[in-house]
This record gives sequence, C-alpha cells and structure tokens, in this order.
Amino acid sequence: NATIAAGHPPVFRWVKMLDEVFVPAVNTKLEGTDHSVNFTGQYGGAIAKVGEELEAVEAGLAELGTCQALFDPAKMAPQNVTYYTPFVSDDVGKVSDLMHRLQLEDANMQTSYDNNGVVYVGAPIVIDDYLLMTNFPVNSLADLEGQKIGAPGAALNWLEGTGAVGVSGNLTTYYNEIKTGVFDGVIVFASAALPGKLFEVAPYITRAGLGAQYAGSICANADWWDGLPAEVQTAMTEAAAETGDWYVSNLEAAVTGAFEAMAGAGATITDAPQDMRDAWAAGMDNAAKAWAEGIPGGTEVLSTYMEEMRAAGATPLRDWDKE
Amino acid sequence: MTPFEIGLMALGGMGVFVMAGMYVPIALILMSFVGVWAIKGSPLLAAKMLGLAANDAIASYFFGVVPLFVLMGFLVSESGIGRDAFDVANAMFRKIKGGLGVGTVAANAIFAAVTGISIASAAVFTKIAVPEMRRHGYTSRFSVGVVAGSSVLGMLIPPSLLLILYGLLTEQSIGDLFLAGIGPGILLSVFFAIGVVLMATFTPKFTGETLSAGDEKLTGRELIRKSVPLTVLILVVLGGIYAGFFTPVEAGAVGAIGALIIGLAKRSLNLAALWRVLVETGLVTAAVCFLIIAAQMYSRMLAFSGVPNAFGQMAATADLGLMGLILLYVLVVILMGMILDSSSIMLILVPLMLPILNPMGVDLIWFGIVTVVAIEIGLLTPPFGISVYVIKSTLDDDSISLSDIFLGAAPFALMMLMCLALIIAFPVIATGLL
Amino acid sequence: MALASRNDPAPLRALDTCTQVANVVGSLLIVALVLLIGADVLGRNLFSAPISGVPEMVKLSIVAIVFLQAPQALKAGRMTRSDALIERITNRFPRLGGAMETLFDMLAVTVVGAIFYATYPIFIKSWSRGDFVGAAGDFTAPTWPVKLMILIGAALLLLQFLARIARRYMRGAHDPV
Ligand code: NA
Ligand code: NA
Repeated sequence: NATIAAGHPPVFRWVKMLDEVFVPAVNTKLEGTDHSVNFTGQYGGAIAKVGEELEAVEAGLAELGTCQALFDPAKMAPQNVTYYTPFVSDDVGKVSDLMHRLQLEDANMQTSYDNNGVVYVGAPIVIDDYLLMTNFPVNSLADLEGQKIGAPGAALNWLEGTGAVGVSGNLTTYYNEIKTGVFDGVIVFASAALPGKLFEVAPYITRAGLGAQYAGSICANADWWDGLPAEVQTAMTEAAAETGDWYVSNLEAAVTGAFEAMAGAGATITDAPQDMRDAWAAGMDNAAKAWAEGIPGGTEVLSTYMEEMRAAGATPLRDWDKE
Repeated sequence: MTPFEIGLMALGGMGVFVMAGMYVPIALILMSFVGVWAIKGSPLLAAKMLGLAANDAIASYFFGVVPLFVLMGFLVSESGIGRDAFDVANAMFRKIKGGLGVGTVAANAIFAAVTGISIASAAVFTKIAVPEMRRHGYTSRFSVGVVAGSSVLGMLIPPSLLLILYGLLTEQSIGDLFLAGIGPGILLSVFFAIGVVLMATFTPKFTGETLSAGDEKLTGRELIRKSVPLTVLILVVLGGIYAGFFTPVEAGAVGAIGALIIGLAKRSLNLAALWRVLVETGLVTAAVCFLIIAAQMYSRMLAFSGVPNAFGQMAATADLGLMGLILLYVLVVILMGMILDSSSIMLILVPLMLPILNPMGVDLIWFGIVTVVAIEIGLLTPPFGISVYVIKSTLDDDSISLSDIFLGAAPFALMMLMCLALIIAFPVIATGLL
Repeated sequence: MALASRNDPAPLRALDTCTQVANVVGSLLIVALVLLIGADVLGRNLFSAPISGVPEMVKLSIVAIVFLQAPQALKAGRMTRSDALIERITNRFPRLGGAMETLFDMLAVTVVGAIFYATYPIFIKSWSRGDFVGAAGDFTAPTWPVKLMILIGAALLLLQFLARIARRYMRGAHDPV
C-alpha cells in the first residue's frame, strides 16, 4: 500500500500525471511479478497542503508525494537554482532532462533529499517559460516604469532594475487583482494563464525569455523505499520516467494550444525585442550569486547548472556563474 | 477493522466525547490521534500527524486575516458603530412584532458588507444584540439563535473568504462570485426577517411571551448621525476593493484601521478600551483557530480512513441526472457540515465534483453559491457548528448552554434550507446580477 | 469560571503569569499584522513601495498568535465545550463529575503533549538548518521563532490542563464548582 500526497488538486497537470500515468504504469510493470502496489491518492491538501508534501513524506504519513522544492526554498535550496537564473532557456524538455540528471548525479542536490529523509523518484515538475502579461502594451523596459507587477516569491528578483514595482502574488488571485487594478500585470506561464483566463484582463503578452523552471518532482519516504524489493523500485523509477515524458509532451502541447487560444481570444502576443531582453538581463542584480553564496554547495550547483545548460545548447543572456 | 470502519467509529467517538463535556478541540484532536494510530498502526506516526497539522494547518495567508476581521468586528462594536447600525435598524422595524430580531438580521446584513467571515458577525452581534434582546423580553435561546442564524450572512454577502476560497479552487472570477452572493444574501435576510416575525407571532413560547419594542424612536437627525459612520466604513472597504487599492483579504486590516479611526473620531474609544478589544480579539481568535486546527487534524484523519472520499464518490458517481446530483451533493455537504469545518468541506468536495460538473456545462458561479449556502448551514448544526461555538465563547455566560444556542439556531438552519432550494430551482437569484 | 488565583500556590501563580505574558505577546502580534498590511497597502498605492514578504509574515504570525493565546483562552473559560451534561452529573454525583473532568484533562494533556513531542524535532531542525520562508534576494524570515512559540504555547496549554486537575483536588470535593 502506498499513499501519494499532493497539495494541489488534480486539475493541475503535476497531480493529474500521478493517477493518469504514474499509477497505471507501475501497475503494468508489476503485472506478472509477485509484487503489487495499491495506491491511494490524497490530493488537494487532504493530508498535506501545498509545500507540506515533503514533510508528510518524510514523516511517513504518505509514502510518495509531489515534493515541491519551489515551496520549500530552505529545505530544498539547491533545487531552486533555476528560479535564480532567468534568461537561460525557455525549453521545457531541456530543463526537465538536465534537472532529472542533476537530481540523480549531483551530490548537493542529493544532500537535500538525504537531509529530509526522502528519495528522488523522478518526473520533474517543470513550469513552462514565464511571460509578462499586462493590461498595457510593452515594447521596451521603459513601459514597465512604475507599473505594479505581481510575481511569485523568487521571481520578484527578476523585476529588480526594471523600474516596475514587484508585488508578491499568488497565481490563484491574479485574475481578480488585475481586474480590480491591484496589479497592472503579472509574471506568469502560459499553461496557467489560459485556464485562469488572465488574457481577459491582461491581453498584452510579452515573451521575454525569462525561462522554464524546475518546481519539484515525485519523491518517496526513504525508509519505505529502502524496504522495497529492487523489482518494485525499478518499476517505480521507470514509471516515473514515463510520467516525466508524458508531462513534458503534454505540457508542450498545452503551451502551444494556450498561445493559439489566447491569440484567438484577442490577446496580443509579442516577442520582446532583443535590446529589451538584453537591457532587462543587464539591469538585474546577480541574485543567483548572492543566493549561491548563502547556501552550502550553492556556488558549485550554480556553475554545474549553467555549464550543463550551455553544453546542452542554451544561450543564457547572462552567465550568472561567471560574474 | 478496516480504515473505513475506524473512520466511522471516530465520527461516533467525537460525538460522544463532545456531548460528555470534553473541550471540542481536544475531542477532535484525540479522535484524530487515536484514528491515525488505529489506521496506520503507529502512535508515533499519529503524533507526527498532529505535529505537522499544528504547524501548518492554519499557516496560510487566508487564515492569517481571521484575527483582523475579528478585530475589525470588535472595534466596530466597541466604538459604537455597530450599536448605531443596530439602533437604526431597530428604528426602522420597531413597530413590527419581533422588531428587535428583525433589526438584528438587518444590522447583520449591513455588517456583512464589511466583514469576510461569519465568526466576526457572530462575535460582534453576540455583544450588541443579545443583551438588548434579552432586556426586551426575548428568550435567551431565541436571542442567540437570531445572532447565530444571521451571522451566516457575513460570508454570503461580499466580501467573503469562503467565496474567495471557492474561486481559488475552481478558477472562477472572485468578482463574479461576489456579485452572485448579493441576491441570495438579500433573499436570505428577507427569509430570516419574515421568519422572526412569524415566530414572534405564532410561537411566543420560543421567542418570548411579552416582547417590548426597542428604545424610543430616533429623530431624522439622529438617524443620519448614527448611520453615517458605518456607511463610510462600508464605502471605504467595498470601494477600496473594487477600485483596486487592496484585495478582499487585505480589507480586514484596512477595515480595522478604518473602524479605529472612526472610533477615535467619535471619541468612543480610549486606550484602555482598545487594549480590552485587542485581548478579546486574541482570545476569540485563539479559541476559533485552535478549533480550526483541530478540525483539520480530524479532516486529515478522516482522509486516511477514506470516509469523506466514499461519500464524495457516491455523490460523484451516482447516475442521477443533474438535479439529482446537485441534491445528493447538497445532502452530503450538509452531513459533512455537522462534523467538519467550512474550508475542509470545500477542499474535499469541490475538487471531486469539478470534473463531473464541467462536461455537464454547469454554471460554476451558481454552483459556488449553492456550495457556500449549503456549507454555511453547517455553521449552525451540531455537534460541530462554529458560529454557535463562537457565540458561546464570546458570551462568556454559563446560563446559556451550547444546546440552547443550537436549538435557537435550528429554525434559521431550516430557513437556509428553504432559501437554498429556491436558489437551486431559480439560479437567476444568484446569476441575475452578472 | 475564573478561579481566585490569590490563594494559589506559587507555581500556579507563576504559570498564570507566564500565560498572561504569552497572551500579551500574541495581542501585540495582531497589532503588528494590522500595521504591516496597512503600511503595505499605503506604500504600494501612494509611494509605489510595497513591503516585501507580507504574505509570508502573515502566514507565520497567525500560527504564533493562536498558540500563544490558546492557554489564556483555556484559563479564561473560552475554549469551546458542551457542559450541560457534565454539570448535571457533577451536581448529582460530584465525585463522578470530578473524575470525568480529570479524565478529560488527562486526555488533553496526552494529546497536547503529543503535539509538543512532535513539534520539538521540527523546531530543532528549523533552528539548526536555518530554515526560512520567502526567497533569497527578496525577502526571507526564519521559521524557528514560530516553531518556538508553538512549543511555548503547547507547554503552557499542557500545564494549564494539569493546573485544572491540581486546583480541582486542592479545592476538595466540598466546594461548589
Ligand atoms: Na461579507
Ligand atoms: Na455543523
């Protein structure tokens, strides 16, 4: 028996993937063996709220869970490297592949799991390229001057030096806050902007290449995992790999669909001119450097991530690790 | 024993302990502890569940504003603004039999336009209306019943934290949800007012044999003087939200500051009163939030047992057609309302229902209002009825027992049921303003 | 409900003092919340200068507020209970009523003790690893002070339940409830 904990409800892709792909895949792989796992999904905060999954899995209240590094910036510090390095890559697949490999190979990443009594299983939850969505047109950085832009925690750093007023916000209330004017725009990703109908209140969509991000992945309670037969462990990691592939392709299709649908609904979608991107990146503080120096092994993680991304063909606007 | 059976036993155990006089949060925590222990077979794991829930269950921005709305309520009460609103409402209804009761309902409906949570309404009007009604011959049971009943308006008439939560879960526009809450809020107020008059006329044993009218009539000038402060506060809070100066969640703090300024301007607040209000806010917040923490532990234990999921699945998979499905859903919500807190019910049931409702083309705004009214009935039903608990905690009077309050509130729960039936039959009550 | 604490022995009086101090700290935290959100709203709208980390601070302080004030809520008789049945029992069979109350208080001590026991390692971890909320570079706040306040609140609550038992037996079975 295994309980899977997720703080988000199953309308989110990274929860849907559990019941639609992961669980059936494990069951299929174990067919004909002596083993079987009976999964129970506890989603939408039934036993653990968003950001609490890691603790629930560590405590053994759930055997598996979506460990959301994004909401555990201290316990899973190295995993947050992508959020401190914007303008690196908008390629969901690239970020997913590399972060998956780093979870398995990088000692610093591994330490996060060890310290919290959990094991990395797989299926990186990657967020598609962050965009600027505003209720005014944006052609240059000057257009952002003095505008109130909502952004999630770490992404507030991205607004430093743009002249915009970064206000910490939450995806779920963006619509209302733009509509009433609490925000003039937000930093958000397409796969959430479409279902959230954000284009109705913020029809100017500017792609500035802020980049795709890593938010978390499926993790397992370490004691439970170590007690599993090798056959079952393999079935789970393989199922997680399939889940990750499904997630990336499903997300990529959703992103393409989202842009088409939003354009069809009258949104203006533009690619930010190169000089705006350069000016934006150049004007930022190097938060990555400060972040890396503040956590154990941070500098190493930062340079590994940047090196590997460059090796994978990404062309970062700033080499955050070399300044 | 299967987890399901353990879950059912934990439900019964809670009822027994609560009736035997154990503190309600302790009874909930105890049953959560024993339940998880029995299901998972480890007392250590059960303790860890309690620990995690204690640390995290209310650690959110939305619960964070609970004390602010309570504080605003008490400031409104202490500075005399609430009292004035109550006087004005009474002046309007003093000729009617049961006028003070109607006045309480009306004042509550007005106050609902500044508060986002029902417990603030319950706390405020326990202080303002209960002593007054009892002084004028209303029974204690009826007085607290009116306050408990009309407190539900606080989360139906915007702003409403419960509607915000629903909007978050279903990705519906919170502004639209707020608009949709107005019609049903007014309808329910009218229901309550008519109900009070009918009860005062036909069941004098329940309401009080010899009801006197409220104090003497107000002159036009007094009427204006007394209605201006609350009107200003409503304009500031609602105006601020719709003009984009602050979010409905931040409105709690802005409203508290506004009430403070008005109270100071009226010279009805001094430092000593302010401190008293603050301590009182703290005690009510602690009692209520401790209860919410306990209720969330309990809800997590039940999640492990699979009981709520089984109920939800039953509602979700029963092949009944839309109307049958909605009725079954409402029934499940009301049953859960007896034992769980509002936000837990919403978090459990709404995500279960969404995938079934979406293909049926159900108007999710209307569904949200149906959900909120059905959940709010649970504020008044035993054994776990939070509005009733707040009144008991605020009243601080041993002569009125919890069961008195539950009995007094029962007719209002029935009226909510009738109002809910109307909203289901005529969705336009909710969606008409959109 | 409030019992004359003047006649209490020193440890009980010390406990009540600590409970009151926690209550005051909790009340001040509420004031801080009001001011913080008010300043954020003003700063954002008038000076384009929002305060960083307000949601995180609200999130942290609500837990502290509740745990710091819960002991006083119990002491002041504000904790919710349905006392109709137990009062009837106590009036007719004082010993049975007292025994039930004591049993309930001991069960309360057990579960609050379990919360304390489970929170202690959470506090130690948060303290030794320097856990924080927020995002480096923008705003961060350590989580250990809140965990510590949960521990203090749970300890005081536990002791207040024990004090109820102690007072019940010091008063003897003869005094009215
Ligand atoms: Na309201
Ligand atoms: Na109830």
